[in-house]
Amino acid sequence: MYNQMKYFLWITLGVMLLPSCGKQLDLYPYSSVTPGNVTESDLEPLINGLYNVVQNRPGRESYVMFDLVGGNMINAAGGNQLVFINNILRPEQGLMSTAWNGYYAALYQVNNAMESVEPLPDSEKKRRLLGTAHFFRALIYYNLVTRWGGVPILRVKTEDKLPRDTEAAVWAFIEEDLTAAIPSLPSFATGLNGNYFYLSQEAAQALMARVKLMTGKTEEAAIWAEAIITSNQFQLDDFSRMFRGQDNNEVIFSFVNLNVESSVNLSTMFYTYAHPVGGSYVYKPNDEVLVLYGEDDKRKAISIDTYEGLDVVNKYSSGQAGTDPIIVIRLAEIYLISAEAQGMAGLPRLNGLRHARNLPPIAPANETEYESAVTLERRRELFAEGFRYYDLVRRGEAVETLGIDPSRQKFPIPENELILNELMTQNDGYN
Amino acid sequence: MNENRLRGIIKARRLHLWLPYVCLMMVFVQARAQTGAMVTGIVRDVEGRPLNGVSVSLESSTLGVKRNTSTDSNGIFTFSQIQPGDGYELKFSSIGFKPKVLDGYRIGNNDKLSLVIELEEALGELDEVVVVGYGTQRKGDVTAAIGTFRPTEENSRPVLGPEQMLQGKVAGVNVSGGSGAPGTQNRVSVRGIGSLSANNEPLYVIDGIPVLRHNAALLNMGENMNPLALLNPNDIESLEVLKDAAAAAIYGSRATNGVIIITTKSGKVGRTAVHVNYYQGMQDVSDSRQIKMAGSDLYIEVINEAIDNYNVQFGHNPGDANYMERKMNPYPGMGDTDWFKAVTRTAGVKNANLSFSSGTEKTQIFMSGGYMDQEGVIKTNRFQKVTSKLNLSHSLYDWLAIGTNSNISYSRNYRVPGSNSGATIMGRAISQRPYDRIYKPDGSYYKGGTDDLLRHNPIQVLNEGNAYLDNYRYLGNIHATAKLHRDIEFKSMVGLDAIYTKDLIHYYDTHPYGVGMGRMFDNRRLITNLLLENTLNYKKSFDKLHFTVLMGHSFQKVTSSSAAIDGQGFPSSSFEVLSVAAEINDAGTSLSDNALESYFARTSFSYNNKYLLNLSFRADGSSKFSPDNRWSYFPSVSAGWNISEEDFWNKDHGTDLKLRTSYGATGNQEGISSYAYHAQMSGGRNYNNQSGIGVSDLGNNTLTWETATQFDAGMDLSLFKGRLGFIADYFIKNTGNLLYSRPLHATTGFTSIVSNIGSMRNTGWEFTLDGNLDIGKVNWSSDFNISFVKNKLTSLIGDEALLIGSNRTLQVGHEVGSHYVYRVLGIYQHDEEVPESLYNNSNVRAGDLIYEDINNDGVIDVNDRQVVGSINPKFYGGWNHTLRYNNFDLSAFFTYSYGNDVYFSYRTFIERLGNGFFGFTEASAENRWVGAGTSNTVPRAIYGSPWNTQNSTRFLEDGSFIRLRSLILGYTLPTALTSKIKVKHLRLYAQADNLFLWTKYSGMDPEVTSDFDPRFLGEDNLILPQPRIFNFGINLQF
Repeated sequence: MYNQMKYFLWITLGVMLLPSCGKQLDLYPYSSVTPGNVTESDLEPLINGLYNVVQNRPGRESYVMFDLVGGNMINAAGGNQLVFINNILRPEQGLMSTAWNGYYAALYQVNNAMESVEPLPDSEKKRRLLGTAHFFRALIYYNLVTRWGGVPILRVKTEDKLPRDTEAAVWAFIEEDLTAAIPSLPSFATGLNGNYFYLSQEAAQALMARVKLMTGKTEEAAIWAEAIITSNQFQLDDFSRMFRGQDNNEVIFSFVNLNVESSVNLSTMFYTYAHPVGGSYVYKPNDEVLVLYGEDDKRKAISIDTYEGLDVVNKYSSGQAGTDPIIVIRLAEIYLISAEAQGMAGLPRLNGLRHARNLPPIAPANETEYESAVTLERRRELFAEGFRYYDLVRRGEAVETLGIDPSRQKFPIPENELILNELMTQNDGYN
Repeated sequence: MNENRLRGIIKARRLHLWLPYVCLMMVFVQARAQTGAMVTGIVRDVEGRPLNGVSVSLESSTLGVKRNTSTDSNGIFTFSQIQPGDGYELKFSSIGFKPKVLDGYRIGNNDKLSLVIELEEALGELDEVVVVGYGTQRKGDVTAAIGTFRPTEENSRPVLGPEQMLQGKVAGVNVSGGSGAPGTQNRVSVRGIGSLSANNEPLYVIDGIPVLRHNAALLNMGENMNPLALLNPNDIESLEVLKDAAAAAIYGSRATNGVIIITTKSGKVGRTAVHVNYYQGMQDVSDSRQIKMAGSDLYIEVINEAIDNYNVQFGHNPGDANYMERKMNPYPGMGDTDWFKAVTRTAGVKNANLSFSSGTEKTQIFMSGGYMDQEGVIKTNRFQKVTSKLNLSHSLYDWLAIGTNSNISYSRNYRVPGSNSGATIMGRAISQRPYDRIYKPDGSYYKGGTDDLLRHNPIQVLNEGNAYLDNYRYLGNIHATAKLHRDIEFKSMVGLDAIYTKDLIHYYDTHPYGVGMGRMFDNRRLITNLLLENTLNYKKSFDKLHFTVLMGHSFQKVTSSSAAIDGQGFPSSSFEVLSVAAEINDAGTSLSDNALESYFARTSFSYNNKYLLNLSFRADGSSKFSPDNRWSYFPSVSAGWNISEEDFWNKDHGTDLKLRTSYGATGNQEGISSYAYHAQMSGGRNYNNQSGIGVSDLGNNTLTWETATQFDAGMDLSLFKGRLGFIADYFIKNTGNLLYSRPLHATTGFTSIVSNIGSMRNTGWEFTLDGNLDIGKVNWSSDFNISFVKNKLTSLIGDEALLIGSNRTLQVGHEVGSHYVYRVLGIYQHDEEVPESLYNNSNVRAGDLIYEDINNDGVIDVNDRQVVGSINPKFYGGWNHTLRYNNFDLSAFFTYSYGNDVYFSYRTFIERLGNGFFGFTEASAENRWVGAGTSNTVPRAIYGSPWNTQNSTRFLEDGSFIRLRSLILGYTLPTALTSKIKVKHLRLYAQADNLFLWTKYSGMDPEVTSDFDPRFLGEDNLILPQPRIFNFGINLQF
């Protein structure tokens, strides 16, 4: 017995020590797959992944950044507008790096998607993916160039350190991408059945109109804008629908920004903890915005509110509890683009918008009056949608209107990026 | 007299032990014939064998009696014709045994007292057994640097986790706390910062199982929790710290930061004991440590000064858009709120422990149960735990033994937001304006983030939510040991550490985060850590040469599976499950695993007890690295010379001396994710309820082990027969291939990638001194240890400095943990002193801080940051004193640290002086600059300028301290008294922990930290300090 057991043990010992458990060390992640082997069936998830990343990565403040530094909003605790703006526009400010890192992180996914579908045969889905990617790359670069000016252009993903390209080159790249996007994307009505949570040819055309206007190509801007307006696929609709998550006819493209998929909770920044929907009350409309709207203006109640004596931005209504769709482009902006691009000839578009907002038509005496009327209407219409700062900058009014130093017409390159990439140069006035 | 008792004893004893009792009886019979009082007894060892030649003395200082005798070959001694009286003491001593004293005896006329005395063997210091990796070694044979701490009644401290007991006790080991909240994570560092990643914690090996030090909590409430707090410190027999490579290399790839082996108690042959320990007490934050904030009048004065300064500087006049109105106290005459007092309390604690131990030649058993209920100093914070333990071993045959070590424990922690939370109780209480109030006149809360209250209402945060963390843990093994041959032993072990965690936070609809309808997070996790281990031991002696061989194989796999649900919309706060939630915001599960396979071996040679040589080797393969870089090898060699065993050494002086040295390699694989080498395309990137994917990880195929090589030279000296001991160690530790999440330029799409980025060096000295001295009837023993560790980063990819966070850096030639901020040179006393560029662009004026402009470019920016201090102490250690007098024991234990700089980051909030309206400290307000010559350290009050609160040396403070860590007074009741109630031992004690702190640090506690990452240690963002504790307790043994 004793001996038998001992031999048994010796054998067990041998068996245990000899073979290796080597195979046991090959462990793979459970929630991911190896990139590179993209198949036809991955196209749909890849497209969805792009929407997700472009929506989320730039961070919640990026959607209202031009309201924060454009004199529409201020620290909820109050204080001085200029102090507030200058505090944001610092190279070490976290909001700068969050946005910069976020746009480039999204860009990586866009470029990666384009590269990884290259080997696949042409198909409708592949074209749609490429169209989506081109649009998003244009949108990302639009956001980058309006903030920082010339930035490195990446046509493919790379780990190389790159110097900055010129501002003009970036704008040209944006147009190139939009031009590529338009034929690849489905049409709004037939391709998408009017679902504005996905990208359409019309969305790319609308963004093209915006880009043309911002680069001063007013004639082209007007043409692109009018094409959208006259297509009659979109109608000016009520704020109470657009900004309360209702179906509407005005939005051309909006991120759906569902609660479970989103890290962009805009509204929590705007309401107080005492408000029924709750919020951390980070920013509030400034005094100018509070007197921006007339009593009859249908936009007023939806845009701003005063609750228990505290002024709040009211355009994103879910508070702490949820998220709201983030509108990227809608017909009212196209009206304003057309109105601005055409000069006085665009007055019908301006008055058309005013009419929709329950305001009487105006008859400006001259171009200057007209221009300021368009600018004012733009501010009212697009408040809290991320336009004001660059509108002031591109029209050369930022220094005077905001009282900022001329160098503050561009954002500072984040400190970390400068340290990690020696080819990167800072914008003037920040060092 | 006593026949009954003797009969009982005889029945219980084995046959060969009868004889002495028979003899003892005969002594009694003889004694009956004599007159006068008599004391007689038998002295034996713990296994019941009678001891011959034991010196016995009978003394009474009150009567002036002193008599001596010794035991005979049957272990029997007798004193007769004793003078009646009080205060008799019996002392027993014998070489090789621990002396024993029985006291408090009153002897009357013709009293006949008979006693049975057990003496415990006192192992010679060199014969003591030291736990080493995968076994034990005679202390005399040890050639590595190993520190040991054995908890006793006299040195015990009220700690939650066993590793906290090491604080100040072992040279080279530094233990610091996260906060004063019960159950919080703390940091144990062995020989300085060992890695750049993770917590660089040592590897813990508990009952033979290497365990993970993870965060015991799943949801972020602003501080991490300690999984070791689940264990019962009372179950610990000893803690061994394997410090050098020779000791630690056998644990290979996880041993770079040292190894702490925790051995739990087991039953001893022939000794049956029941122990009861209980203590109860309270804790608080002493008034002297609290931060004094400015009262309303001072606050208003300074705020308005700040506003005036702003209006004047920018030329804003009343009526201008940018003109700032002055502030006033909205509640004049209503008194200030003491916000700190409002959120804290004197917290109670109860702790009870019961253990049974017993053993025969075949079976040894130790069983225990413990219960602890500890309140936190912050209201509603509470930690409860229940632990149980079974250590059992049994010899089936003379060649086969089996056994188990099992811990089963449960803890519940009612948590409160810590300093890294947006609702941090300390931060949200202390930085309120002094006149602000908790409740409105109607009894409802003032809400934070409004004009009523700048910060979250901390009372609302505490009361309007419920957060608890449950942990269930089984940690244990079953093992079998077979003697395959006279010299060969084979041991097989299966170990499991399984931890189930439920972490729940419920914000009621009335909580600031309650989204107006109630929100709940419920996260669960199961971690299993499975170990299979086989070892073979071979022992052989040839004449004077002894040698041992250990060979082994182990496979360990850790799997973590978790689930998380976030939902909102509850009918009322009393619903505690998510099935009630109106809306699920997020739900998901995750799963990950990693595995480690290892082969290891050790051989030791000892020639004539003089010359010692140990060799060890380990090969580790980890699933975390790509197959090409998977395996790594960790050898070590160490040698020792027992000089005092040489013929030329005169042993008569009782002096022992050993020299030892070692060299070896250890590795590190912690701090990187399980799948770091894989490039990954992850799911979950959904859009509009359609599933989406995207690249989540770049992957790094070249990733490989972090490896440290360490040289150690040491000396063990023992003088005057062990009355004075001295240990010294010197080490050099070079760590290469440091694993680190290297920052990337963002145009790559990522901001970091895990890489092997550089190397660093730790060098240091460690000294331990212990002494034991009898001064009359007072016995004084003292242990002192001190460690000097220097850290230096020796290389980095490209040798470029890395900026870490906003106030740290990694730079070649500097320490890891260097503070990297602007240096403050003083304060501009006149506007003319301000450089023009700063005057114009940064609105700097007289009264603002002067930052050193290193590159003289007229701008203060990132290029002007400099290394100005370090988190690492120049030296640290502990000093314990124990005084014993009669039945009293008094011990005072100090810990200290010198030269560590603490960045008190929260001062940027509470010393803003008008840049924003938060409350500020009284000191900063009173010492502020108000005109030329008034201050050169505290700047002026100015609204709207962040200039003075940038990261700078203004907030960097000397964190040196000496702390009276523990003060214990114990009283052991006389044996004569306790034996009447069948109690072997009864000790009452009073204990104060953290009674005094001597430091220049202006915050509450220089020893806590908001972050355990070695790069960020030593930052105080207003953390709850370690509390002052008062306990009363009892130790009972039956």
